[in-house]
Order: sequence, then structure tokens, then C-alpha cells
Amino acid sequence: MNTSTARARRDQDNNEGTGNARLRPGETSAVQGVNPRITAGIRYATDGGIPGEWHLRIIRSSVPAGRVTGFQTALLDDEIIFLTPDDVDAAGLPAFGCQIADQTVLTREPKFVGDAIAAVLAPTLAAARIAASLVEVSYERAPAVFDEMAAIAPDALLVHRSHATSESDSAYFDMRPQDGTNVCHRFRIRTAALQGRQEPNVITELDDSDTALADAFAQADVIIDEVFHTPAAAHVPMEPHATNAQWVEGRLEVVTGTQTPFNMRQDLAHIFGLAADDVRIVVPPMGGAFGAKTFIRTEAITALAARVSGRPVRCVLDRDEVFNEVTRHPSTVRIRLGAKADGTFVAKRIWAYVNTGAYADCGPGVAQKMGYAGVGPYRFEHVAVDSYCIYTNLPPGGAFRGYGAMQSVWASERAVDLLADRLGIDAVELRRQNLLREGDTFCTGEVMHDSHFEELLDDAASAVGWEKDGDRAGKGVAIMLKGMQTPSKAEARIQLLPDGRYEVQAGTADMGQGASEMLTRLAAEYLKCDVDQIVVCTPDTDRVPYDTRTTSSRSTHMMSRALADAAQDLLQHGTVGHGYVSNDGGLDPDTGQGVASSHWHQGSAAASLDVDEETGVITLRTLYASSYAGKVVNPHGADLQNEGSMILGLGSALFEELQFSDGQMTNPNLSDYNIASALDVVSISHKVMQIPGAEVHGLGETAVPPVPPAIGNAVASFGYHVTRLPMTPERVLAAAPSHEQASPPVGHIQGEEGA
Amino acid sequence: MTRINVTVDGVRYSDEVEPRTLLVQYLREGLGKTGTVVGCDTSNCGACTVHLDGTSVKSCNVLAVQADGHEVTTIEGLATDGELHPVQRAFHETHALQCGYCTPGMIMQACDLLKENADPSEQEIREGLEGNLCRCTGYHNIVKAVQQAAKDLSSQAVGS
Repeated sequence: MNTSTARARRDQDNNEGTGNARLRPGETSAVQGVNPRITAGIRYATDGGIPGEWHLRIIRSSVPAGRVTGFQTALLDDEIIFLTPDDVDAAGLPAFGCQIADQTVLTREPKFVGDAIAAVLAPTLAAARIAASLVEVSYERAPAVFDEMAAIAPDALLVHRSHATSESDSAYFDMRPQDGTNVCHRFRIRTAALQGRQEPNVITELDDSDTALADAFAQADVIIDEVFHTPAAAHVPMEPHATNAQWVEGRLEVVTGTQTPFNMRQDLAHIFGLAADDVRIVVPPMGGAFGAKTFIRTEAITALAARVSGRPVRCVLDRDEVFNEVTRHPSTVRIRLGAKADGTFVAKRIWAYVNTGAYADCGPGVAQKMGYAGVGPYRFEHVAVDSYCIYTNLPPGGAFRGYGAMQSVWASERAVDLLADRLGIDAVELRRQNLLREGDTFCTGEVMHDSHFEELLDDAASAVGWEKDGDRAGKGVAIMLKGMQTPSKAEARIQLLPDGRYEVQAGTADMGQGASEMLTRLAAEYLKCDVDQIVVCTPDTDRVPYDTRTTSSRSTHMMSRALADAAQDLLQHGTVGHGYVSNDGGLDPDTGQGVASSHWHQGSAAASLDVDEETGVITLRTLYASSYAGKVVNPHGADLQNEGSMILGLGSALFEELQFSDGQMTNPNLSDYNIASALDVVSISHKVMQIPGAEVHGLGETAVPPVPPAIGNAVASFGYHVTRLPMTPERVLAAAPSHEQASPPVGHIQGEEGA
Repeated sequence: MTRINVTVDGVRYSDEVEPRTLLVQYLREGLGKTGTVVGCDTSNCGACTVHLDGTSVKSCNVLAVQADGHEVTTIEGLATDGELHPVQRAFHETHALQCGYCTPGMIMQACDLLKENADPSEQEIREGLEGNLCRCTGYHNIVKAVQQAAKDLSSQAVGS
């Protein structure tokens, strides 16, 4: 019988190891050749990274706006370490933020319910939880604003007094904050004839009369003008955010689940006044991320606690905290689309109001991508886009699989179907007629290359048995383009080990998308060796060369080429090979001209479904997505990525919505916020479209954005014009066509009963 | 503190625990068995599923003291002598996972499902796994894994 006590075993566990062995991320397989995730051989950041860690709990604001006037801590045990904004001030920690420097490590002026205002550190998680519950906070409340249209109104109260652009690498384009408003970034597209006109800095009204494009729309025979809404949604990585931090001889070491290790290193160096080399970020495999684990989340407060206490510290968020940590941007998107009677698109106008919550995070980038993705893969002579990233007192919006494209594709692809109806042209034919083809020019001025929109459209349409001008009851399609991070850089190194194996050193984080397997397969291909000869190093900024980050479905595309260079270098020059690639471009924030994306994610979706006219319940018969992949590196992984994107799109379409009451999230748990279960996805199928000899394309998000509008268009084929996601039964019923249109054929009901 | 005697993955333990300690906390923090993970705190996601006397339970929903005198099997105790359990092997062969965080719970639940119903239909598999959430995959390969494991287990039973 094992007689050791749990505490003794824990102490033993805590005392083992020195030096680098103190950091214990990564994976070992209990069974040779088997994915360690199957045998529980993975050590996630939630499992702890450093022996002897104390546990951190964050104390969060219960008011959406105001000022903390005091903390009552009399009930805390002596051993508890209590951290407040005073500690942040005492340490001289500056404001930070990936694109706008608007955050502090702990704030005395909370800006959303859940904002971090203090923290407790205790030797056990249980003690930390108790301590956190014993701290009483007093506040002076201030008025708050939650809706993006209310926050952009001329008289709106200001969430932040200033909008200083961040010096971080992640502020990779020029910001256009609008002083004296809640707009921290404004992005515009103006095609050639529209540039240089006098216009208001901020368009505050949804019923703006559109002076920018009046001349162009005058040439249209039919104009669709409609407003669409997308609510906040949750990423729900199954693994919560988790960070482990310690200070070793003035150097900060952090084991954390992050998609952005090099941004993390730079941002923590900035916060703690260190050289980048004095910060080490180690990234164990993550239990999902979907954009939620980008930029600073729990890392700065954990590092501060480690510095103040002189101990290693672990911080793992509870699920309700994960929900509030970062969300998908709620958005209001107005689309104005004009066409000639023959279906030729003439002009498109987009107003995108992007609710970034209390902090900008990467909202400016999201607003930008939402703006151009809403134009869609179509030819237009005239395009004007105004996209605003707007502060409110909701939890911050951030990167979310689809990165803004979902919100605007939902709006723009629904608008295309409305136009088709008005013109009396088949919805697939109307799209085909206007699609961007090889060599066409996008609204940004860039020339399209490797374009496969037509094949994707045909594939999706045929998956639901679409027949030209046939009966389309219950059927819908959608198509989209989505950009990849441009500009960016990727470096890779391959080292020949003494035992004859090769170690791949790359900054691509593995969050379940299969980074490690991708690197293994490609390295073996490039080095012409067996996959067993490849070892992939855990991303560790002390050991791997620079990579921009693991986002925007860029890693397989970018890192594959860096790795090919590294392999060639190694084969030519001996034991170490270096590879480097960059993609160049970017957009002028005032005209939207330039290179939005060096490489386009291209995808389509189709749905076939029934709507119960009594209950409004949508029942999917087929949900299909087709994504262009170029060359596939890992066929099984590609299938999983595509299916995973689809179920995220499905949830967004039908049931996922974060709800708030006076700024407080009311459903931050998996009882009240439902994600798709195995029973919800029976109808999904897909295609990963490959072309022999093509380059490797990213695939991680392509199938998210087209799914909601494909479903919405299918629902609209029955006359239910739903403009707000998700399409809950209540919203479907509220959008029911007028009684005459909705009346079923005579005998329909009896027929059902008799059947 | 309350003393509990519990067998976990074939090893007997005797420990003092606070009565409010959840089984998953005892496994992870007390025994260092981090293969069983926590996903949601509200017994919705199933990531922490283990077997209590051979029946699946969500270990965030069971107190450690309720396991006193009982046998717990976690994902870490499923493979024997370096041989994967047939359900693990099927998850491996059908690529039924991505990030792997839901996988321990999914596998433990699938084992229980197949114990109750050796030849489940696709619908029965989906219903049986409804309390285990996966955010990465589209579940299709997970269903295939359970179907394959059902076949492998039944041919094993015939063979033995």
C-alpha cells in the first residue's frame, strides 16, 4: 500500500529539478509512436510549469465603469499576498496593449464587469479562492455605454480619454484613432474615383445618406440597403487560459498557453522594463485557443505576482473568467449594394461598427479585416468602406477564428441573396457573374492570384443539389475571401542532433491545429528522411527563431516555406540550417489601397434545411463547406480543421450568443452558453480543395465565415429574413413572412398529420 | 479533514482530504494525475470524466470522500503494459482528436458507452457522447473511433 500523503508527494514534486528542468512543458508519449494526447502524456500550461508554484486569483470589478475607492482585507491570513494597482504603480509598470496602449496590469478605474482590479496569491488554489472571496471592494460607479451605435454617438461618454498607439510589433499598420470619440481606429476603403473627397471623420448614424458613393449608386438599377448584427460570442477553448511565471536572476520566465510567444516576449519586456532577451516565453501544447490566447491575457499579472512574492506563480482561469477574458466583437454592419438590371455589380458601400469593448486589443486589425472581407470576392468599380473600432464597457473583443470576416460576410452574403431576389436572377448565377477571377483587381488595388472562387461556388452549390433557376426552397449558398496577416515574418531553424535526428526549431505554437505534425511532416519531406527522425522543439523564445505569431491561418503557409529554406540551408552547409520568409504589403488606412493579403483564404458553404413554421426551429439536412487548400500537408488534419471551423460557424449561426445585463455577462458557463455537441453536427460534410502543384494555403478559419450566411440564405428562401445572429427560433418566427406568403399549400397540415 | 482509502489506476492510496475536495482536485492536486483535466467547472463539458467502479462519472461532480473505498480509473490507467486500450487505439487510428484536451474524458465516456451497448448505432454514439464537448473537431472522427472500437472489442470478445 502506498502510504505517502498527498502533501508529501506534492512537496516532493515541487522540490525536484534545477535549471531548465524547472520548466516542464511539453509532451511525452507513454506509448511509442502514439499521439501523447491519447495517453495523457501532454503537460498543458494548466498542469503547472514550475515546481513550487503559488496560486494566483484575480479579483474582478463588479461594476462596468467607475473607480475603486478601497479594499477591505482585514480577513486575509498573514501569508496571503495581496496585489493592487498600488503595486503596479510602485513597480512603475507602463500602459500596454497590442495595438493601442490602453491597459494597465491592474486598474483602479475598471472599464467592464470582470476587469482585473486586484489579486491574491496563496500557497494553494483553495486558499487563494478563499482569500479572493474575503476581499471587499468599494466603488464609485460611473455611467457606462455598451452598444456600439450608442458609443459612437456624438454625445457618448468616453470610455478612454486618449488612444495612444502601441509600439508593439502587433501594431503593424497605421492607427487612425479619432480624438474626442470612442473610435480607436477608423479604416476606410475608397476606390480611385472616390479618393480625396471631403467627408466627416466619423459617421455616427446608421442611416447616413452616403455622400461618398451617391454618383455610383445613381447608375444602379437595383439597390439593396440592409443592416445586419452579430453578437459577442465565446471562443471556448476547452483548456482555460493558464500562465506560470518565475523570475530567475532578474530574468522573467513564463510558461503560458499563447499563440503569440514573440509578441508576448516583447510586451512583457516593455511592461517590466527589460531587454527582450531577458524574457523567456515557453509555450506548451494548448488545449484549443481559436484566437482567445493571443497577446497579454494572464501573463502580466502573473509575472508581477512572481516578482512581488519572489516565488513561482501559477494562474489558471475558471471557465466564467475565460468567457469574460476576451470575446468575439459584437458588430453592426450596414451593406448597400447596387447592380444593373442584368446583374452586374456597380457599387458597394459598407459601414462596419465594431464593438471592441473596454480595451482595443487587436480590435483595430479586426475592424480592418471586417471592412475588406465584407466587399467579398467580387468585381466592383466603386467601393467605399468605413469600419470603426469602438470602445464600450463590455469585455474586450479580440482575435476570434474568422477575425472579423464572419461578421461582414454574414451581412454581405445575405445582401447578395436579397439582390438576387430583387433582380429575379438565380443567386448562384448572380455570384458567378461577378466573381473575382485570376488577374482581376480587388477593391484594394491588388491583383488576384491563385483564385478559385468559381470552383468553390460550384462545388458548394452542387453539394445541396442546386439547379440553375430551379426550386431552391430550403437551400442557400455563400462565398467569401479572407486575408492573411500581411506583412509578417517567419523564421525556422533545423539542427542535426548528435544521434542523427533533426530538431525543428520554430515559433509556431501548437493549439491543436496540428503545428507539430505539420512541421514534422514537412521537415521529413524536405530533408528526405523518415518522420521518426524529426523532433519538434517546444516553442521557447530562448531556443526558436522569430515568428510573427500563430494566427490568421498563416503558419502552414509561411512556416512551410521558412522550413524549406532551412532544410536546403542545412543540406548545403552542414549541421544547422536557417530559413526566413516574409510577406510584404499592408493597406493605407485612409484609402484601403495596397496589399491586404499576400495570400487569400477562399471558401464557400451551402446549406439545405427545413424551418418549422410553428416553432421557428431550423433543422439542417446538409451543411457543406468547401475550402481552398492549395497543397495539403496533413490530410487528416486538414479535414479536422475544416470540420472544426464549420461547427464554430454552425454555433454562431444557430445558438451561440453572449448575453449581458447592464454590462454583466449573464451566461458565462457551458450550461447557458451552448456549443455544438456530437448531436448537432450530423449534417456537416465538406471538401478540402486541392490543386496539384499549388502552394500551401492556410486552412484554419476558411470554413467559419461562409456558414452563417449560407444557413441564413437557406432560411430566407422560405421568406424568413433574419438579420441578427444567431438565428434562434424566436428570431426566425419574428422574421416570418406576411401571412399570405407564409400560408402553406392547402392540405399541407392535414397531409402531415395523415402521414 | 477526512481520511479516504481509494484505489486509483490500480494503486491504493490513503489520504487526508478536506470534505469539500472534489474528486478531480484530489486526482490532479493530490495525486498529481494531471491526465484528467478540468474544462468547465459546471459539469457540462465532460473533460474530467473518469470511471468510478467501472462507471463513468464527471470527476468535478463527485467529492473525493465519495470515492472512499472505491476504485477510480483515469485515462492514465487505461493502457496496460504499454498496450493502448482498444478505445485509445481507435482514437489514434481514426484521428479523433486535435488539441486533445477533451480526449481523456471522451475516451473514458466512450469506454463506458461501449460497456453498456457493445454495438451502438451512430445516433446512440452521438447521444452517449452528448455530455462531452469538443471545440476543435467536428465530432465525426470521434464517432468513427467509437464505431471502430466497438468492432475491435467485439472481435476481441469473440477471439477470447
